[in-house]
Amino acid sequence: MNVESTSVHELEAAIENLEPTVERLGLSDEERVARAKRAFLRKLDGRKAVDLDTCLHCGMCAEACPFYETTQDERYAPVHKYRLLRRVYRRQLSPMRFLYRPFTPDITIDDLREWRHYVFDACTGCARCDMICPMGVNISSLIRIVREGIGAADLMPPRLQRMKDEQQQKNSIVGVDGQRLRQEIAKLNEQGVTVPIDKDGADTMLLTTVTELRMFPSQLGACASILTKAGANWTMYPDAFEAANIGYVAGDTAAMRVATKRIVDKAKEKGIKTVVVGETGHGYQTLRWLGANTVGERLPFDVVSIIEFIQQAQADGRIALKKQDNGASVTYLDPCRLSRKGGLIEQPREILKSMGFDVRETEPTGRENYCCGGGCGEYVLSTGSELRHRVFELKKNQFDDTEADGVVTACASCRFNLHVGADKTNWQMPIKSLVETVAANMAD
Amino acid sequence: MRKDQNLGEYLRSQGVSRRGFLKFCSATASLMALPPSAVAQVAEALAAARRPSVIWLSFQECTGCTESLTRSHSPTVESLIFDAISLDYHHTLQAAAGHGAEAAREAAQEENKGEYILVVDGSIPVDNPAYSTIAGISNLDMLKHSAKDCFAIVAVGTCAAYGGLPGAEPNPTGAVAVSDIITDKPIINVSGCPPIPVVITGVLAHFLTFGTIPELDALGRPTAFFGQNIHDRCYRRPFYERGEFAETFDDEGARKGWCLYKLGCKGPITYNACATVKWNQGMGFPIQAGHGCIACSEPRFWDKGGFYDALSTGDWGSREALLGAAAVGAALGAGSAIRARARKRKAMAEEEA
Amino acid sequence: MENMTLLDFARGPGLQWALWIFCLGVLWRIVGAMYLLGTKDLSKFRRNHYIRDGLRACLTRSTPAEAFEDKIRFQHISGYAWHIALFVSVLFFAPHILFFESIFGFSWPHLPNTIILFSGAVATALLIALLIRRVVHPVQRLISTIDDYISIVVVLLPLITGLAAFAHIGGRYETMLALHLLAVELMLIWYPFSKLMHAFMTFPSRYQSGTFFGHRGVKA
Repeated sequence: MNVESTSVHELEAAIENLEPTVERLGLSDEERVARAKRAFLRKLDGRKAVDLDTCLHCGMCAEACPFYETTQDERYAPVHKYRLLRRVYRRQLSPMRFLYRPFTPDITIDDLREWRHYVFDACTGCARCDMICPMGVNISSLIRIVREGIGAADLMPPRLQRMKDEQQQKNSIVGVDGQRLRQEIAKLNEQGVTVPIDKDGADTMLLTTVTELRMFPSQLGACASILTKAGANWTMYPDAFEAANIGYVAGDTAAMRVATKRIVDKAKEKGIKTVVVGETGHGYQTLRWLGANTVGERLPFDVVSIIEFIQQAQADGRIALKKQDNGASVTYLDPCRLSRKGGLIEQPREILKSMGFDVRETEPTGRENYCCGGGCGEYVLSTGSELRHRVFELKKNQFDDTEADGVVTACASCRFNLHVGADKTNWQMPIKSLVETVAANMAD
Repeated sequence: MRKDQNLGEYLRSQGVSRRGFLKFCSATASLMALPPSAVAQVAEALAAARRPSVIWLSFQECTGCTESLTRSHSPTVESLIFDAISLDYHHTLQAAAGHGAEAAREAAQEENKGEYILVVDGSIPVDNPAYSTIAGISNLDMLKHSAKDCFAIVAVGTCAAYGGLPGAEPNPTGAVAVSDIITDKPIINVSGCPPIPVVITGVLAHFLTFGTIPELDALGRPTAFFGQNIHDRCYRRPFYERGEFAETFDDEGARKGWCLYKLGCKGPITYNACATVKWNQGMGFPIQAGHGCIACSEPRFWDKGGFYDALSTGDWGSREALLGAAAVGAALGAGSAIRARARKRKAMAEEEA
Repeated sequence: MENMTLLDFARGPGLQWALWIFCLGVLWRIVGAMYLLGTKDLSKFRRNHYIRDGLRACLTRSTPAEAFEDKIRFQHISGYAWHIALFVSVLFFAPHILFFESIFGFSWPHLPNTIILFSGAVATALLIALLIRRVVHPVQRLISTIDDYISIVVVLLPLITGLAAFAHIGGRYETMLALHLLAVELMLIWYPFSKLMHAFMTFPSRYQSGTFFGHRGVKA
């Protein structure tokens, strides 16, 4: 294992320290409900109306959900998770609202507290349900709105609440700020990896995450090596390096916008052409697919994942990768936000194959792959630990079935979650990062 | 036939054999769904029956019912039975005319108070009674007057039974059925346009045999004759089940005698004895002749859509009306969406604040 | 009209009102939902094949991905069987075709009644089975609304009355035919206000799902 379990506990402890014992005061129950409903209304549009009107309550989505799969608890059925949204839609926006209103109960503060468990602890927004729905309903985006409603009511799990406040106000997450970035970069420099900071005239900007910096700084080092090797004119900015977006995770759109704007503004200010996002799933999603919509304008630069960067560099002949001579096998864990929500399904596999790895697929895989169980903030929630561990067990068995020599992923959160699970179950399969594997196999 | 002769004696004097008579009795008994043991009872009762007095009133009608009864058969047992009643008034058939005829009617009514049978064919105009009068007496008045002392009324034909053709939309004369006017006497509706002759005589036979009103269905028709569905008894039914239909009146299917459902046959909703008793001495009935049933024994058959429109079609209105409804719906939907948008904008604005 | 029978009502004013409400409601619901404020996606699309991706989803969602097949086989097969049986009964029974022809002005070949009877019975049995599943299965029981139950009953009624009229049981033919027509009219009236609208919504929903994921480079 390339991560000491002490650092796992260190991060857990750091998060633990943040947690207040009770919900934050300050809002009346009525106000919370009203805020949640307004958040629902803001996100409901024609698309969502069609989705909500199409759902037949067939319940098939439950069969796609890893949390239902591992618990058989009907409350974790994806369709149930967005029930509050459906009720508000039927009461306030549906064309037939005059008819539905008398038969549709309004949502209450108790509902919001109950659904908090469903949409935070028992949902990572992995969108596997979107793939099964015979009606083509975009279920995960509906559940996402419920998360935002609960976030608007300031009822998100206290840990996430503290973390997103910290990021919004101090531009740091569990104490990881620009200062910490400089420290880690200094350590990398000692190892012979150069990370340019605030370099003038750079056209490429690298983002990393709190998880990489605290747990897997070698991933940052690997990204740096790859960018440099590929001859990119790149840099990092200590006041805009964080790809993680706790506002997104916590369902607070205002905090989310602040975090996204920091990166967008910086990139615009410095005339950046390409933003490369390190190994993170939600960080990629929030910038690549949600970024422009969050700031309300098209982005004047490209957002690419480090996976896409590697592939492009390979294609341009800027980097070459060594073939394995021992025929090592790996299996790939699709991070939900990179694969079925990000469109990067074949790409990481192609990179692994180009290095001569025998890539073994789990069953199911790719678009239908189960998520790690810890995404979208799930992995920091104490209330969700049992649930995500069950999902981990499911994943573990699938990895074991492939009999691969190791599991590779491209998201620090997935990797962290696997480490926590492996730690608990004394699971021995090596857990690897894609960028580290690439960096280690770059030909001179 | 003399009044003191009974029916048996009269028939024998007319050369009807015992065998022929019994044949008629068993046919009548089976028509009335009586057990075989009842044939003897029917024969006995009929043979001993005294000729009942019948007053036949014809109102707004086409004489088709009378034609059916008198001309469809060469002299048969049925027509003799008809001769065997004492038809004291029938302005088409009787020899008398003018005041004499009306006097005969009055006399028959007076003489057979409470015992005579009143047969009515044709509907009664009530919009303006002057639309149809006989000897200056309106149909309405004549019906009320004649019904006063009768034993029972037989409404022959769909006009008398349910208003029929004169009562079809828009019903200019305000034509109504006998049962719409007379409510205190038993009324037997022998519907059909025209009714099957043997059904008329069968009803009379029932009177003669039992002296009672036969069992009637919800529409006042004797169940013995009107209890069966044409479709259920139709010899073309197997083609319906197999889905073999004539598409036009001269296609292969029509020649092969396939089901006429698609050509508008109303057999499935029609209750009559056509498919079993048949017409013209059992030679056939409309469906056998290649034309669909038009439900002539059913109330308001004239207004149940076209005779050639299949039963499963309905009056769905017009395309314009449907498009209009759709346009109204679209407008309501747009209105609803505009209000919903306003709600959403308000929620958006409140977030900024 | 005086002396109007139940059948006359069902074939005339009942049918007209039901169709009016149906047309009005369907348009109301479709326009009302689709004309809601849309949200423009400002992100740079990885793929921009609207029609291809949308239509692909319309097609592919007709069968579940292999990974899911085992878990939803019953619903998958029963769903297909139910719809096929229903459409066979509704669209290929000769009297029904005559009804449609009177509205649309064209017709198509029909099937023998024995096949119709069989498919009608299958459809009825399957719908009852699906109703039972809805009551028994924990997920479906939890997520079901009154709309789900009423819709099943409202669809069952035309089936049951239709079969009864066909088999000449339960009452005189014209009464059963009238009840069948009234049941269909009830369904037409209930239709736009209920989940039955999915017939109009499924393909738009699949299409937009296909384009949503297609923009991100995922064949969904």
